[in-house]
Amino acid sequence: MGTIYKREMNAYFRSPVAYTIIALFMLMVGLFFWVRNLLYASTDFSGALSMTSTYLTFLMPTLTMKLLSDERRNGTEVLLRTSPTPMWKVVVGKYLAALTLYGIMVALTAIYPIVMTFLSETGIPVGKTFGGYVGFFLLGATYLAISLFASSFTESQVVAAISGIVALLVLYYMQSIGATIGGTFGSILQWLSPLKRYSDFSLGGFNIASLVFYLTFSGMMVFLSVLNVERRRWQ
Amino acid sequence: MIEIRNLTKKYGQFLALDNVSFDVKKGEIMGFLGPNGAGKSTTMNILTGYIPCTSGTVKVGGFEIMENPKEVKSQIGYLPEIPPLYGDMTVDEYLKFIFELKSVPLNQRKRQMDDILYLVKIGDMKKRLIKNLSKGYRQRVGFAQALVGNPPVLVLDEPTVGLDPSQIVEIRKLISSLRHDHTIILSTHILSEVNAVCSSVVMVNHGRIAAKGSVSDFTASEGSVNKFIISVVGNKNAIQKTISEVSGVRNVTFLRVDKDAALFNVESSRNVDVRRPLFNELARASLPVIELRPVGRSMEEIFIDIVNNDKYVSETAGNERGEED
Ligand SMILES: Nc1ncnc2c1ncn2[C@@H]1O[C@H](COP(=O)(O)OP(=O)(O)O)[C@@H](O)[C@H]1O
Ligand SMILES: [Mg+2]
Repeated sequence: MGTIYKREMNAYFRSPVAYTIIALFMLMVGLFFWVRNLLYASTDFSGALSMTSTYLTFLMPTLTMKLLSDERRNGTEVLLRTSPTPMWKVVVGKYLAALTLYGIMVALTAIYPIVMTFLSETGIPVGKTFGGYVGFFLLGATYLAISLFASSFTESQVVAAISGIVALLVLYYMQSIGATIGGTFGSILQWLSPLKRYSDFSLGGFNIASLVFYLTFSGMMVFLSVLNVERRRWQ
Repeated sequence: MIEIRNLTKKYGQFLALDNVSFDVKKGEIMGFLGPNGAGKSTTMNILTGYIPCTSGTVKVGGFEIMENPKEVKSQIGYLPEIPPLYGDMTVDEYLKFIFELKSVPLNQRKRQMDDILYLVKIGDMKKRLIKNLSKGYRQRVGFAQALVGNPPVLVLDEPTVGLDPSQIVEIRKLISSLRHDHTIILSTHILSEVNAVCSSVVMVNHGRIAAKGSVSDFTASEGSVNKFIISVVGNKNAIQKTISEVSGVRNVTFLRVDKDAALFNVESSRNVDVRRPLFNELARASLPVIELRPVGRSMEEIFIDIVNNDKYVSETAGNERGEED
């Protein structure tokens, strides 16, 4: 697992893709910081994160699109499958690498609340900011797992990215779809919506049930990715 | 060392391997010969645990691939048709990654790494990014990868394809240098490759075994022929006596009469060419030879048959070893 993790981390920082995504992400966060914090003279950074979260739908699949598809395209999948290292370790290692990169991105944004702590006389709402961060990270982690799963079906990076985005868009609208439908099915959809849980966090509430929800959801998706990778061997 | 029994592989409805069985003994270099699409890569992919088979068994060092995949995989170094390389890594980093992937004990890594770099001659390229290497060097790095962990079995899928002649010679030398402590399967669609490095051969075509045996079982295209049919005009007993007195002839059997000639089957000791003395002695006895031809087919003949006629051939020089199905 550590072997694969290290390789993927190195690969990220050797390709321009990671830097581009980080730059894009920081630009976006900066923009929303300007809108939510500077224009409105607010010290609550969770609002800027919340605006950013919408675009995770498009960003997260670009982090995972290469992870599984490239191995198939380059023929290196043979290497992994014929080595004594089991496939689940490979998939989990890759997921953790993507998660780490995302973690770095999130950590970089901390510069904004830190600067605000020094510049504002009133200080920042620590609880709310912290909750916002936890929710933001968990939401991204779940998105990564979902897009990893989407990418486990194809050997094309482009298809991997697009199917990841589509899957996340469906989830994005699940809450409103659920609300529109109403009834039991509607509330199941709403209950399953990762986005709805996120708003709990960004309001400053730290909800253990939601934490468990995100972790289980991510775990399930990574597990399904492993199953899918194993299943494909039999085709 | 390797036992393959009744291996069958279907890709959907397409039968890629049909009841393939063969053995590779310890220390052997087996040439796996067949035209493109014969099923060589498929067999190798199953043997190394990359893809599962539809039915049949594959045993390596006593372990069955489906039952004990880990044990089998740890005994095999595999160089697939397309070397499995990461372009964004340096040679050094790549091999270290492989050491970790194969969980080679830490205290063996340094020494093995030095040995491999020396053997495969890529020491100078250690710090280069793999994507910047030439085809020949990439093939060597792929080869180095297969050697990591010093596995007793090496499976090499067309290791010389796409290389220039001097690189081919280098790779063949490398393979020969490994013969002492490895069991090797080497696939190829080039016949001369088998003669150059292999001790035994399995020919496949359309997913079926066309011929197999040790390389010396096959009659070579010239010399060392050991079975003939000879057709001579004259008294049957006189002919038989004359032939049997030629030195090197081990056995003469009468076959049949064809017009005024008698046909005999002649066997000679291996590596002794009795054709000239046979001809001379019969001429001296005024028994004219009207035909002399070797029986048992050379590897070339069988292979050419496969390639040209695309038909299923089951006859080999070492006949009884020819086929089982
Ligand atoms: N994944 C696959 N799906 C369907 N058919 C395949 C697949 N891989 C190989 N084949 C077919 O199986 C046959 C044997 O292929 P292969 O083992 O690659 O032959 P060789 O290595 O001897 O050239 C070919 O006809 C090939 O088209
Ligand atoms: Mg092949």
